Amino acid sequence: MSLAGTELPPLTVTFKRDDLVRYAGASGDFNSIHWSDRMAAALGLPGVIAHGMLTMASAVRVVTDWLDDPADLVEYGVRFTKPVVVPDDDKGANVTFSATVGKVADGLAEIDITAVAGEEKVLGRAKAVVRVR
Amino acid sequence: MTIDATMVGRSYTAAGSYQVGREKIREFADAIGDGNPAYRGADPIAPPTFAFVIGSRALEELLGDAELGLRLDRIVHGAQKFSYTRPIKAGDEIAATATITTVRKAGPVEVIMYETALTTVDGEPIATSTSTLSHNRADT
Repeated sequence: MSLAGTELPPLTVTFKRDDLVRYAGASGDFNSIHWSDRMAAALGLPGVIAHGMLTMASAVRVVTDWLDDPADLVEYGVRFTKPVVVPDDDKGANVTFSATVGKVADGLAEIDITAVAGEEKVLGRAKAVVRVR
Repeated sequence: MTIDATMVGRSYTAAGSYQVGREKIREFADAIGDGNPAYRGADPIAPPTFAFVIGSRALEELLGDAELGLRLDRIVHGAQKFSYTRPIKAGDEIAATATITTVRKAGPVEVIMYETALTTVDGEPIATSTSTLSHNRADT
């Protein structure tokens, strides 16, 4: 069986303001741009933005949900290319993650991940390396 | 003072070790909306990006170095990468040391890369985190 080219089941997550507050508490990242419109505006942002690390954590779920054991993740990296603006409403912001297996060699598979919010890619060069059997 | 390339190699160790608790792992997994059973139960591992939470204690020390002259509200997290020797698990007692690896300047913007080594307090390697920050000194 060839893994290369396999598309992993995609995932859409919704970030609402309370999700950002919950992530702030759990991660200890209380940077005010993630909860205060006033502070976000003062720094020239279009609004409160999601923690990049929350987007990164969500993106890798596509990979770890696909693995039998998340401990098989060997490497994971992203670039934060666009902020995810999270409005103060009941709808929040949707981000859709998808992933495709690339090169497979020596028991390791490279997986390319894309993350899209609205029309924009919010992560760049998002890639995981996992052990495969 | 401001950060420059002569500061490459400076290392900052988090004050005290971090004791990983299973309820903290579950709280973090809940906060990222991840219901994976590996992050729950009696003997959980932590979600991959939990490494950043532990590493950020070393980053706090780095940001506290007045000679670098960095301000959190001028920093944007540009890129992040993790390499795992093994997952973080409940019961681990983890030491974190951040080392500046690259400093590049482009006008008022400083691009800083640092690498954070997470090990057990006995020195067993767990994971390495590589972070890229942009620090903008311009007054907006």
